[in-house]
Amino acid sequence: MSAATQFYIISLLVFAAVDLLAAYGLNLQFGVAGLLSFAFILFQSAGAYAASVTSLGPDTANGGFQHYILGSTLPFPLPLVCAALAGALLALPIGLVTLRRLRSDYQAIALLVMSIIATDLVTNDQHLLNGAAGLSLIPAPLQNRLALTQVGYQWLFVLFCIVVTAACYLVMRRLTKAPLGRAMRAMRDNEQAALSLGKNVVWLRIITFAVGGAMAGLSGGLLVEFVGAWAPSGWLYPETFVLFTAIIIGGTGNDVGVLAGVLLVPVVIAEATQFLPSIGRPGLIAALQWILIGVLLIVFLWLRPQGIFPERKRRFPSAEELSRGVPRRRLSIGASAALNGRQGAPRG
Amino acid sequence: MGTLASAIGFGLVTASILALAAVGFSLQFAVTNVLNLAFAEVMGSAGYIALLSTHAVNNIWVAMVPAAVFGALLSYGVNRLIFVPMIKRGTKLFGMVIVTVGVGLIIENVILAVAGPNFSGYALPPVHTHHIGPFQLTAPQLIIMGLAVFAMISVHLLLRHTKVGFAMRAISVSATLAEHSGIDTRRIVDLTWLISGALGGVAGVALFINVGAFTSATANEFLVVIVAAAVLGGVGDAYGAMLGALVIGLTSEIEAAYFNPQYKEVVGFVVLVIVLLARPQGIIAQVAVQREIGR
Repeated sequence: MSAATQFYIISLLVFAAVDLLAAYGLNLQFGVAGLLSFAFILFQSAGAYAASVTSLGPDTANGGFQHYILGSTLPFPLPLVCAALAGALLALPIGLVTLRRLRSDYQAIALLVMSIIATDLVTNDQHLLNGAAGLSLIPAPLQNRLALTQVGYQWLFVLFCIVVTAACYLVMRRLTKAPLGRAMRAMRDNEQAALSLGKNVVWLRIITFAVGGAMAGLSGGLLVEFVGAWAPSGWLYPETFVLFTAIIIGGTGNDVGVLAGVLLVPVVIAEATQFLPSIGRPGLIAALQWILIGVLLIVFLWLRPQGIFPERKRRFPSAEELSRGVPRRRLSIGASAALNGRQGAPRG
Repeated sequence: MGTLASAIGFGLVTASILALAAVGFSLQFAVTNVLNLAFAEVMGSAGYIALLSTHAVNNIWVAMVPAAVFGALLSYGVNRLIFVPMIKRGTKLFGMVIVTVGVGLIIENVILAVAGPNFSGYALPPVHTHHIGPFQLTAPQLIIMGLAVFAMISVHLLLRHTKVGFAMRAISVSATLAEHSGIDTRRIVDLTWLISGALGGVAGVALFINVGAFTSATANEFLVVIVAAAVLGGVGDAYGAMLGALVIGLTSEIEAAYFNPQYKEVVGFVVLVIVLLARPQGIIAQVAVQREIGR
């Protein structure tokens, strides 16, 4: 296998793991808890910047050609911890927006605009995170310590990404299987009912945003340690749309569905086609990708809004059924509740 | 004084373009309750149609006519072919936001695929600066302001003095009630999308004239400012949208003149977020209750 082919496969695997990690974070917020996290890409971006500045060293390094805040050199796992913390910390104030019982479309717009404001601020402030040019020369962790070839190191990094993603998945699965996850779904399906049963929906939202934000931040940290650069053009608001598309196509709220959606949308469409030979004028392939993503989303919302793998609605036996000894069943009912606006403001 | 006067001059031009767009956006939202984030792409594609038309007629103001017609037809077609079937299938408010973002991405990237990534510009005759009071404005800027004033008066007359406008206002209060009162809601809704698209088309050409050089992404960068103007005045209120356009146009240009021009859009955005969170019903209107999407 040639080095180019290997690098191609390595890149795809890293992107798949990173996108999957982020998508599970978004699925926790949108799919499980029904929160319209339309500024989600900011959490990933915060993580990426946090991991960058904590591994780049002070900004006088490399001749001081880039300016950023908080420059330091932390040992290996700490930049990733900072990335997860940054994602969670940014998610908290942004998550507070969803506490306002706004119409769901207003909420989406408010978050979308926050995403654009953040892009504008970071792009225009040269001294915060090096402006539009972004940060570069971000070192790969431990590469100097490990006596490995370039390709060998990258395969190890692939393995590391997969392990981190799998670990995060298990933690998230544990959360959503637990009573906490049931409370989140209850909040999504009928907030008034959840409230009346004594569920603290404010606390639930904060937890959901923090955990999802941490997963997104961690994914950003992993991504930036692999690609070595991070700039505002990498986290424009349509990137959030790509993740939403992946989740909706795969199956909102279904773990297998999210996996399928991520493999289909961000990986096959958005990443793999970047390595195609360029045809036509510059930018044509990128344009066709976006068109394809938009068309896929609309086709799915039209024909199969519940996604490829619909969420299985959990059904719990009534007291009568319990007394008759009817076994616990699970019914498969379609349509994602979050998409149809069953959360948020009371309807009237 | 000079700085302030020129900032106000630029602000009035920006406000005129914003008013054209925001009133179109707001009118359609009021009647159909679909928050159409593909509106900027209707503007952008109409701007490119005007660019094509200038090859035939060599006058940008004449080319505005096919652009407005195209904007109207595109807006109508997107609603009939995509939005209405989606709504009939039960897609609700947030789902529709995702759908309109998707439609917007598709249109923007079709333009990108056809027109390429390079900047384009209309071939305008050399411009003369006119001194009007303390303001210095070019002829195209004056025409844009005139167009906006004309469009605002037309929309006002339409809403207040015609049966169609009466029907539109009725539907914006309650589509069901309007339908039961014998209003042909489908026809009125179609007409609303046409008018909103035409206003968007004119606004798109005006925007492209004003910025000089544009790409497929230019209109989209303007979208949030439009939404800000529409929301500030109370989404779904055409008069509120005019007021919102004036406020956002003036504040952003004055901010640019005195502080940091790179942040002039951020001012509008921050205003939008604050209004959305603090007073989603806007400054003067009472709309924005959760009601069914009209079709």
